[in-house]
Amino acid sequence: MKLIFAGIVAGLMATTAAKADEMVFTSWGGTTQEAQTKSWAEPFTAGSGIKVLQDGPTDYGKLKAMVDAKNVTWDVVDVEMDFAIKAAKDGLLEPIDFAVVPKDDLDPRFSNENAVGSFYYSFVLAWNKGAVSGEPASWADMFDTKKFPGKRTFYKWSAPGVIEIALLADGVPADKLYPLDLDRAFKKLDTIKSDIVWWGGGAESQQLIASGEAAFGQLWNGRVFALEKDGADVGVSWNQNLTAADVLVVPKGAKNKDAAMKFLAAATSPTGQAKFAEASGYAPINTKAKAEMPADVVKGLPDAHVDGQINLDLNYWAEHRDEIATRWYAWQAK
Amino acid sequence: MSVEAQQGIATPRIPAGLGGLLPALILIGLFFVVPVLALLLRSVTDPAPGLQNYAALLGDGTYARVFFNTFLVAFVVTIVTVLVAFPVAWMLAIMPPAFASILFGIIILSMWTNLLTRTYAWMVLLQRTGVINRALMGAGIIDQPLPLINNLTGVTIGMVYIMLPFMILPLVGTLRAIDPMTLRAAALCGAGPLAAFRRILLPLSLPGIAAGGLMVFVMSLGYFVTPALLGGTSNMMLAEMIAQMIQSLLNWGLGSAAAFILLVVTMALYALQLRLVGARRRAGGA
Repeated sequence: MKLIFAGIVAGLMATTAAKADEMVFTSWGGTTQEAQTKSWAEPFTAGSGIKVLQDGPTDYGKLKAMVDAKNVTWDVVDVEMDFAIKAAKDGLLEPIDFAVVPKDDLDPRFSNENAVGSFYYSFVLAWNKGAVSGEPASWADMFDTKKFPGKRTFYKWSAPGVIEIALLADGVPADKLYPLDLDRAFKKLDTIKSDIVWWGGGAESQQLIASGEAAFGQLWNGRVFALEKDGADVGVSWNQNLTAADVLVVPKGAKNKDAAMKFLAAATSPTGQAKFAEASGYAPINTKAKAEMPADVVKGLPDAHVDGQINLDLNYWAEHRDEIATRWYAWQAK
Repeated sequence: MSVEAQQGIATPRIPAGLGGLLPALILIGLFFVVPVLALLLRSVTDPAPGLQNYAALLGDGTYARVFFNTFLVAFVVTIVTVLVAFPVAWMLAIMPPAFASILFGIIILSMWTNLLTRTYAWMVLLQRTGVINRALMGAGIIDQPLPLINNLTGVTIGMVYIMLPFMILPLVGTLRAIDPMTLRAAALCGAGPLAAFRRILLPLSLPGIAAGGLMVFVMSLGYFVTPALLGGTSNMMLAEMIAQMIQSLLNWGLGSAAAFILLVVTMALYALQLRLVGARRRAGGA
């Protein structure tokens, strides 16, 4: 019996091994993954002959299930950085082979032993010009239902962003945000809870704002960029924009590790990063990328808005992820 | 079609040997029993052996509220489904067969359409800038959009729509089996339409209502897509909470325990349904 089983396993392995010139890239779908495909995967395939299959959306439960079951079908995954730090601690990630992936030009804020930056982004305040009279100028305005009536939309999942926004709106200075005062944040959020519509994914946030279903909200800057490009009538405020990053990781036991490392090298290269930034409006994590980008695109990136910009503390989040999440979902369900 | 066949109860036949059943048993064992056992095992071993996952679930106010919400939504959906399904089923039962089969076709066709598509369609209809609110505001009936989505109203509308066929189909069977002469007899004895409904039709159709209602209730308990899309976070149901535990918190032990509790409740209700149906058969077979 055991022999037969081993035989089957070996047989299955043989079929995957035969596909060594393929790998699977998983990201969040929508306009972001399209930009990643065009800027990274297609040129990479053209240069290396390694075919990149697209999958998605990223699902942390699925990633853990694959690693636990030792049947990993994803080779490179785009994840939020706080998750990557936590996942590395839990032993879910392969170390990055920096002999293959050049490290020197990577922004050190967004790379570590188990992850390289994918892009970095800002949460910005965006609104539908037809649904809002006046211009909301700060996160505090999102909590002022008298001055700015209407539904507001926030990111649904427990992640860096909304807690900080509530604290900033409540008057906490940017340099005193951490450690997060959760009681105070939830108390502030309680004041507008019945006016909140949650968005669970980037496309949903775009749909809510573009249709006016929500008058304004906290959006990823790249999603607002895409809305503007489509000619939607949206306004955006970069005041107190909150930066966080996505990173690229290789799940432990990925079958095409070598191809994955080569892909990471291409994705984080100055050219790959420049092209992606141009297509998505997100900022490059390679410090040499901006030299390859048109000036007007550079102007629209998060790092053109450093005035009043706040870096979300992703290490703090990685450490307190579970604790905050438990309270977050308990508060939401109330 | 016999009354029994219409009600979906086939007489069980015990095969001469178990050999013929073996492939089916292996299939069920491998794909249903083993995963459930693995789930149970995980709920008492992850992250450490013991019952702490169950203690956490049953001792926490948030989870208690989610359990309550789950039952509340299932209950409301069942009641509304019965109220909407009954007139439709009655109409189908007394209609000429040719018309009835067209209507059946329409009802069943809706079941073949993708669940997600149908739920998104409701989103488009119900949202603040949706068709219904725009029409009502355009007609001057309301001046603020009605909150039809991201709350219990939205979940109820969406789920009732999806559950209706599961209520209508068994109910038509029961209603068709009622001898129309009983209603005529009631009228001859001086009962008005309301009395005839309350004292004759309703009691006779009660077994069908109970069977369909229990099925709708049990299905509603574990529903995910519709509540996730049309509901708000403050009326979260168990299935969504389990997804959150598995996907976002990566707390599989807790998620398994919650899933197992849901399974036990569902099985208990199913057992109840079997007993009800059994009682009906004994009563009807006398």
